[in-house]
Amino acid sequence: MPGNKVIPLDAAVSRIESGMTLAMGGFLGQGAPLTLIRALRDGDASDLTIYANDAGFGDAGIVELVLAGKVKTLYCCHVGYTPAVTGAVENGMLELVWTPQGNLIEMLRCGGAGLGGFLTPTGVGTPVAEGKEHVTIDGRTYFWERAVRVDVGLVRAHAGDTLGNLCHRGTARNYNPIVASCAAYVIAEVEHICCPGELDPEKIQTCGIFVDAVVHAADGKCAEQRTA
Amino acid sequence: MSAGPTPDIRCTIAARAARELHDGDVINLGAGIPMLVANYLPDGHDVVIQAENGIVRAGPVSTPGTEDPDRRNAGNLPVSLLPGGCYVDSATSFAMIRGGHIDATMIGTLQVDGDGNIANYDMPGRKIGMGGAMDLVAGARRVFVLTEHCAKDGTPKLVKRCSLPLTGARECDVIITERALFRRYPDKGFILEEVACGYSLADTQASTEMQYEVAENVKLDAYGPVA
Repeated sequence: MPGNKVIPLDAAVSRIESGMTLAMGGFLGQGAPLTLIRALRDGDASDLTIYANDAGFGDAGIVELVLAGKVKTLYCCHVGYTPAVTGAVENGMLELVWTPQGNLIEMLRCGGAGLGGFLTPTGVGTPVAEGKEHVTIDGRTYFWERAVRVDVGLVRAHAGDTLGNLCHRGTARNYNPIVASCAAYVIAEVEHICCPGELDPEKIQTCGIFVDAVVHAADGKCAEQRTA
Repeated sequence: MSAGPTPDIRCTIAARAARELHDGDVINLGAGIPMLVANYLPDGHDVVIQAENGIVRAGPVSTPGTEDPDRRNAGNLPVSLLPGGCYVDSATSFAMIRGGHIDATMIGTLQVDGDGNIANYDMPGRKIGMGGAMDLVAGARRVFVLTEHCAKDGTPKLVKRCSLPLTGARECDVIITERALFRRYPDKGFILEEVACGYSLADTQASTEMQYEVAENVKLDAYGPVA
């Protein structure tokens, strides 16, 4: 079929090489590309730099890549639900760069939108703004934050067609549509793969032109928190 | 509305904080005590709860058997979605947060000081990250800090000057603890407006390093334990 982007998992993940920079969707495991993360964990690529909201939940997610020694630097905003990552930082296994959540998503959004950066009020007067250029507009202080483009983006979707059009579901959407926009090569793992024309065009949240490869989502979803 | 059979100071704080919210407010509740505030909103309220992972009009935590793995809040708890609710991507969620579309955020803290500085994400031996808190305190119209008055070891959390890395500079508008409520005014700093049942002005002074003034009409026995 023309334009069919569905390829085997190993072929997709073979595009990821040591030293590359990646971005990944997911929020505490919600909508996280677990199939791709596990293939990466079991592959040869290492020395990776990753932009993601967090390191997953419990022992599932990017924490698995960290413990497998694959990650050099992680730009994220929270690791409170993956204690093993805190340990890896203390042991010197991992460099962790705290990035406020809204700044992180905007860095990726700007990268995907062809912008060079943005002026943010988030973090003014805190360590994340240190050493960065500040600008005052209409009495409010902002600082310049850079845009980010990455080598490979990993996303997950509930449904997708063979052209890479994706429908996310509920709070599993989160970073996924933005990550799909900011990478030179984007791999989507999809729970239900269908033919072009089967998805309601009004409900496609990530356009297929952003997506380079589609694989079946084999792994399940991260566990949820049980008590407040 | 019940928060369970054993009232504790976390519930005292959450119940007082809930009285600061009004129908039509769009709010974001942080982890810990703030999350309990939803339990104390009056029946039939129209306060809209937004969570930064991309859910608007999040409802109560799902009852067993009704959970959906793709419908959780920012604490990863499975929640319900109220009628009129929707999901958004993270860029839109933070446009809401930074863009002034959130009327109030309630967050916990490690330290807060008299200039309204908040330090809530990074302490030696407990580095978990700021999550969305830096964006929330910078972007929400009103910022409430909900916290136990003192740390577990008894040291004040309302300090003269934050010593831990800041989450936000001069962002805190209201502090609510189990002992007292302080409101910050642009030209006066924090004013002690309410003292809770079981505490006195002297108790508050003794356990607060932060600079504040006492309101002329300060309310004593203003709030207390709840069921």
